[in-house]
Amino acid sequence: MNFELLFQLLINGLIVGMLYGVVAMCFVLIYKSTQVVNFAQGEFVVLGAWVCWASVMYMGLPFIPAFLFSLAFMTLFGILVQVVVLRPLIGEPVISVIMATIGLSIFMQALMNWVFGNNAERFPNVFGEGTVSIAGLNVETAYLVSLVLSVIVMAVFFWFFKKSRWGLAMRATAFNQQIAQSLGISVRQVFALAWAISALVSGIAGIVLGLVNAVSNSLAFIGIKVFPAVIVGGLDSIVGGVVGGIIIGVLENLAEFVDGQYLQVGNLFKVAPFYVLIVILMIRPYGLFGTKDIERV
Amino acid sequence: MAHLPYPRPAGDFRVTYESDMTVFKTVAAHRWAIALAVIALALPQFADDAILSQMIMIGIFSIAALGLNVLVGYTGQISLGHAAFFGFGAFASAWLFSVTALPVLITIPLAGVMTTAVGMIFGIPAARLKGLYLAIATLASQFILEDFFARADWFTGGPYGALAETPSFFGILLDTDSTYFYLVLFWLVVSYLAVANLVRTRDGRAFIAVRDHYLSAEIMGINLTRYRVLSFGISSFFAGIGGALYGHYLGFVTGEAFNILLSIQFLAIIIIGGLGSITGPILGTVFILLLPQAMEFLAGGLAQVFPGIGHGVAYIKEMSIGAAIMLFLIFEPDGLIHRWRLMRASWKLFPFSH
Amino acid sequence: MQSLNQAGHKPTSGANHWEEPMSKLHRFLCAGAACLMAAPAIAEDSILVGHLVDYTGPTSFVGKQYGPGVSDTIKYINANGGIDGTMIELETVDYAYKVPEAIRLYKGWKSDGMVMMHGWGTADTEALISFVAKDEIPVFSASYSAHLTDPTGKAPTTQKPAPYNYFYGPSYSDACRALVQWAAEDAKAKGNEEPVFVHTGDNHPYPNAPKEACAEYAAEIGLKVAHPVVVPLAPGDFKAQCLTIKETGADYVYMGNLGGSVVSLLKSCATVGVEAIYMGNPWAGDYLAIEAAEAEGVVFPSSTPFYGQEVPGMALVQEIVAQGEGIGEDKPTHHYIRGICAAYYMKEAMEWAKANGGITGENIKQGMYAKQDWVPEGMEGVCLPSTWTAEDHRGQMTVAINQGSFADGDVVIERIAETTLPRRDDWLGR
Repeated sequence: MNFELLFQLLINGLIVGMLYGVVAMCFVLIYKSTQVVNFAQGEFVVLGAWVCWASVMYMGLPFIPAFLFSLAFMTLFGILVQVVVLRPLIGEPVISVIMATIGLSIFMQALMNWVFGNNAERFPNVFGEGTVSIAGLNVETAYLVSLVLSVIVMAVFFWFFKKSRWGLAMRATAFNQQIAQSLGISVRQVFALAWAISALVSGIAGIVLGLVNAVSNSLAFIGIKVFPAVIVGGLDSIVGGVVGGIIIGVLENLAEFVDGQYLQVGNLFKVAPFYVLIVILMIRPYGLFGTKDIERV
Repeated sequence: MAHLPYPRPAGDFRVTYESDMTVFKTVAAHRWAIALAVIALALPQFADDAILSQMIMIGIFSIAALGLNVLVGYTGQISLGHAAFFGFGAFASAWLFSVTALPVLITIPLAGVMTTAVGMIFGIPAARLKGLYLAIATLASQFILEDFFARADWFTGGPYGALAETPSFFGILLDTDSTYFYLVLFWLVVSYLAVANLVRTRDGRAFIAVRDHYLSAEIMGINLTRYRVLSFGISSFFAGIGGALYGHYLGFVTGEAFNILLSIQFLAIIIIGGLGSITGPILGTVFILLLPQAMEFLAGGLAQVFPGIGHGVAYIKEMSIGAAIMLFLIFEPDGLIHRWRLMRASWKLFPFSH
Repeated sequence: MQSLNQAGHKPTSGANHWEEPMSKLHRFLCAGAACLMAAPAIAEDSILVGHLVDYTGPTSFVGKQYGPGVSDTIKYINANGGIDGTMIELETVDYAYKVPEAIRLYKGWKSDGMVMMHGWGTADTEALISFVAKDEIPVFSASYSAHLTDPTGKAPTTQKPAPYNYFYGPSYSDACRALVQWAAEDAKAKGNEEPVFVHTGDNHPYPNAPKEACAEYAAEIGLKVAHPVVVPLAPGDFKAQCLTIKETGADYVYMGNLGGSVVSLLKSCATVGVEAIYMGNPWAGDYLAIEAAEAEGVVFPSSTPFYGQEVPGMALVQEIVAQGEGIGEDKPTHHYIRGICAAYYMKEAMEWAKANGGITGENIKQGMYAKQDWVPEGMEGVCLPSTWTAEDHRGQMTVAINQGSFADGDVVIERIAETTLPRRDDWLGR
């Protein structure tokens, strides 16, 4: 058994998993506060990356202003989606809401392919070509910067929900919409806010991925990866989303190890998360950190 | 949907439960159905291949969508993996032919049966899950089956795909659109009769009870697990039949065709057509299959004025599907069938439509 | 309605990709209006050629090069008299590399009287082998899968004989063999006693096509062959796969994918620190991919000169680019020029057919066998001498090997070898 390779793969999984975790966190945020499953989360990621890329390449902005501009854009975009697409669907059955976000994802994907092209486009080097060696594994500097960024985002989240007035409002709404409303919380604004934050953070993840891998529509794969992640972590737990993301990242790389070293079936890293997903759903559908759903009649 | 007026002709009083449960609600509906079937039978004599191949595709997709409607519309489960079952049926029929050399006309229903079994296996999570969780579980089964198609060389020919034999009927090779049309029409009529009657049976009522309130249904003695899994089985059967017809029509089956996008299209078909309706899937299929072509036509016209649009036609087609799903959900969540019933009601009740 | 249909079906070339279904819709609307009439016959003295392209799908990176190469050339041919007066009605449709869509289009074209087709990918071309054989419709594909080279099925490994399939250039397997041969020599020159070779690519007909054949030859000439590594065709972060590649100790990595996937692989492996020479299949290497990956020393095969190189036929190539739509502002890659060659071989085979009984699929097939060491007129130095025979559709056994590097914002490509492989019988069809 090749421990060095295994170890490097696990570290790689940890780093990639952190990014899955960030996107999963955005996904959970929307679900927890608005009961909407966002199948277009992957497209949000891609959109953030494209907007930043376009503002660097076409508007000639330096990276930092372009980054901030993309974040502002994504915030507005998140609000727009909530108001236009999802607000009319409040109270509709699950399937309608799921299909609406699926429709949105198809629409966004095609539109982005049209506007930005279907090639992979490179970002100008922002953090230099440099790589950093972690325990023998070379990692792009951009990834490390992104890790720091993710931790900051998570810390801000934590503070936001625990301490701020808006965060409290969101938690109250997530707990019980009617009670929250009767306490004078504007549920509409809370919903819009949840989408805005989620779009913004997804945009950050997209820009990071774009810096490392070049921007292309295939970055949307992360929108599918979040499903195993959030199910493992628990659909309504933000911490669970992050942990689930890391678990899925590590699991993928573990699958690649087993596949490459022993089984030689190929592509195992792609499907392994979905087998785990089914198993988790069968034995513990509320995930590691989720709340068990008890129904009273 | 229940609140829509359904005006009956004068003199049509329903005095027994039996007469309230007929397949066709009125004599006129019955006659219309027969007339449509006759027109369909005569169609290959008039229409050219371009139209017939559209009709064949509409028929095939309607059969599969009808199956999904049993699951989603009548039983209230969600499946994001219907395309995988559709694909399984296509491969199963091609495989059965190559292994057993049975006539294709027999392998098609056998493929349906095989798909039923697979559908019930993948439906097991439905015994424990519902709503969103079930949607995600079926999403996983979609990816797992897709991976299986690319891997199982013995069954699917691996990534290369498999040849599907052209069916023959007592020595007549069904290799033209006008002959294949009859095969699809036969299965379409059989499927529609089967589902229309299923809804009238004890099992059909159980499905609807599960959909409307599963706890009440359980308290009334309906075995939830059994009916949920059964519903997956029935829906997979029609997916398998549709898939087998699709495979033998094209003559070749490859796994990449049965991806998540196709699953989404099936869902779009039944939502746009109308959930929990028999006619809905046909309307939805016609809409979803013709929409991209209509957009192509439109974009082609627009491109004369704005040349830039020409390069985006492929994207406009995709966008139109996404937009149609969203717009229907927002503005007409009950689907085309609802719109049709409204139109019919207002026409029949004219001028006293309120 | 008749005139509308005519408008939809431009009798001359350059039919854009939305016009074909448009005419179908016309027909459909026509039926709705109960004026059921037969589709219009194709205009006098023109022939229908179907053209599958991928401008929006997973292989669009090179599809956007090869497709215009074919359509621009046919536009040029039509503008200069067509096939001795017969116009080619080219219907170009973007099928986004969807096999069922390709089959559907093929069937539609067949019933419209198509005489031959320009195909695209390996998946659809191999799927259509038996169809085109039955319907006697020659296909010039952009898939160079060796499975298309055995017209009679005499090779023991051939599953389906492919009597109507042609392509211009060496097959994927032969290109890979030439690369492997070069690798063996390169390793010897560097004093590497036991060089390791590894195949990378998706589990998909196109990257799989040369997988076994090439590994077999690599082992035959003394390379150590590692287990192939599956790398998706869509771009992404491939560090995990690169770690596996690194672990195999590979010195020569064959890349079976193309475009964004190759770019991602090169970048991820550079990060992880795989020290190997990357060798691409005929579609993987061009100046655009090398530029995007900022890669160094990528080895790739070619079967035409590059755009602007000084050979006699280049003036005609430039003329075709100037009169056609080209590929926008960039200079065309060698994939575009391969498209030109494919269209020119088709043209001359059609001319032969017209002089020998009319342009039908069967006559075009015979026309393909009419010449040895065949170079289309005006394409001297651009299209390399090719020979197709009734028993062997390996048009070319010569593989030019290039190495490209990105340095100081520019891509430098140099020819490092040219190998002519023996026409071995046991290589036919695989």
